[in-house]
Amino acid sequence: MSSFSLPTNHTLPSLLHYHTPKATLSQNPSLLPKSSQSQFLGLKLSNSSPLSIPSSSYVKGSIVAKITEGSLAPAFTLKDQDGKTVSLSKFKGKPVVVYFYPADETPGCTKQACAFRDSYEKFKKAGAEVIGISGDDPSSHKAFKQKYKLPFTLLSDEGNRVRKEWGVPADLFGALPGRQTYVLDKNGVVRLVYNNQFQPEKHIDETLKFLQSA
Amino acid sequence: MAILPRHNPTFRPLHHARLSHHNSLPARIYCSTTTTPAKPSRDQIIKRPTIVPAALVQTAATVSTRPVLNDPSLQSTWSHRVWVASGCTTVLISLSKSLTTAVDSHIWIEPILAGFIGYVLADLGSGIYHWGIDNYGDSETPFFGKQIEAFQGHHKWPWTITRRQFANNLHALARAVTFTVLPLDLICNDNAVLHGFVGVCSGCIMFSQQFHAWAHCTKSKLPAAVVALQDAGILVSRSQHAAHHRSPYNNNYCIVSGVWNEILDNSKFFEAMEMILFFKLGVRPRSWTEPNSDWTEETESASLISEL
Repeated sequence: MSSFSLPTNHTLPSLLHYHTPKATLSQNPSLLPKSSQSQFLGLKLSNSSPLSIPSSSYVKGSIVAKITEGSLAPAFTLKDQDGKTVSLSKFKGKPVVVYFYPADETPGCTKQACAFRDSYEKFKKAGAEVIGISGDDPSSHKAFKQKYKLPFTLLSDEGNRVRKEWGVPADLFGALPGRQTYVLDKNGVVRLVYNNQFQPEKHIDETLKFLQSA
Repeated sequence: MAILPRHNPTFRPLHHARLSHHNSLPARIYCSTTTTPAKPSRDQIIKRPTIVPAALVQTAATVSTRPVLNDPSLQSTWSHRVWVASGCTTVLISLSKSLTTAVDSHIWIEPILAGFIGYVLADLGSGIYHWGIDNYGDSETPFFGKQIEAFQGHHKWPWTITRRQFANNLHALARAVTFTVLPLDLICNDNAVLHGFVGVCSGCIMFSQQFHAWAHCTKSKLPAAVVALQDAGILVSRSQHAAHHRSPYNNNYCIVSGVWNEILDNSKFFEAMEMILFFKLGVRPRSWTEPNSDWTEETESASLISEL
């Protein structure tokens, strides 16, 4: 139920429109049917999941673009738990762990947040910052952060715009927002993508392992 | 199943948990005690027990700090016995139809296999139903309200199930089985496979409350045959079911054989269902909240039992 660098093999890719041309030139060959590719002449589309076999709805012409290893992470500006706007660019110059999670105060997300909290010092020691992103509003994030004494920033991706832009795949046939973590290097390039919906603590193990070995 | 946003259930005196897999009627919940909880400041327990058939005498709640173990509401009444008899009759009719048809048709494997599938699926059904009732709705939920309340009461005082007499324990499921299986007995003839499945599945569901009660008993109090069946995994084991009564109260929901428990828990089946319901309907299951008096077993009562 987990995978490195690629969307997990038990999810279907989200259907997105690719609209940030300067990001992402994936080295992986596109697996999209020709009809989709022809709509974006000149743009190489990355859909590197080995099991992203297009379903019938997928082939209708939506374009999938997602951030994979080697991609330059697209910039975003979101509100944090205190309502302050935070840009990803603020963290340039050091590695960043950006983890997308379904929702505050759900069991898996709580386990994941607490695991990041408990290992936060190790992340700091590796020189990295941690950012959690979900579709919850700042007040929800504030309560969640306070309740579990989370030392890192939580960002509100209301409307799940950034989630879609980064191509975080949904789980269970789109019923569940996906749980995917990206490790960005100090230049903002994605070095690791890890997806695992139901074993949230593994996100900490894998990203920490990666940072410590880098 | 009615699913409502969770809100604090109204506490009542202890109610016994019931499972009604094919329940087509409102389940009847009996108070297994008529006393207030040990610490009145913890809960707002309504002392008056819920009254189920009017003919039954419901002892008025006595203000006491501990449950009364020989409470009449734990005993079987003739109404209970009649329902259990009718449930058993419908199950036996189904099984005998399966047997006679199998003999006439000279088929054995298919009805036996159908029966086995019935046994296996009864366990799965018991788990899914139990999960739903444990996590969603409250005492005001239409149709399921009393069962939900009873399940919560069972979590507070799990040991009282071991004090409940046989027909008292099974009658609600027996009633559901009667209404479900009787039509099949009358309509379906000469179908050994169908009756094999129905007979075994409904029988397991009806007796699941007995299996449940046995899972709450101590080993020394159980017949050797029951212990052997539990140890063999044919009936739900005491240890497996005990895990359901421990925080975080979100696992080991199946109570026939428990064969599905490991699969459902390891695959995070219920967690996935809970997440889907949360994102689609906005309802949070009870098991997501911190353990509170909804779930927490009253250990004082447990210690009382040991004194007896």
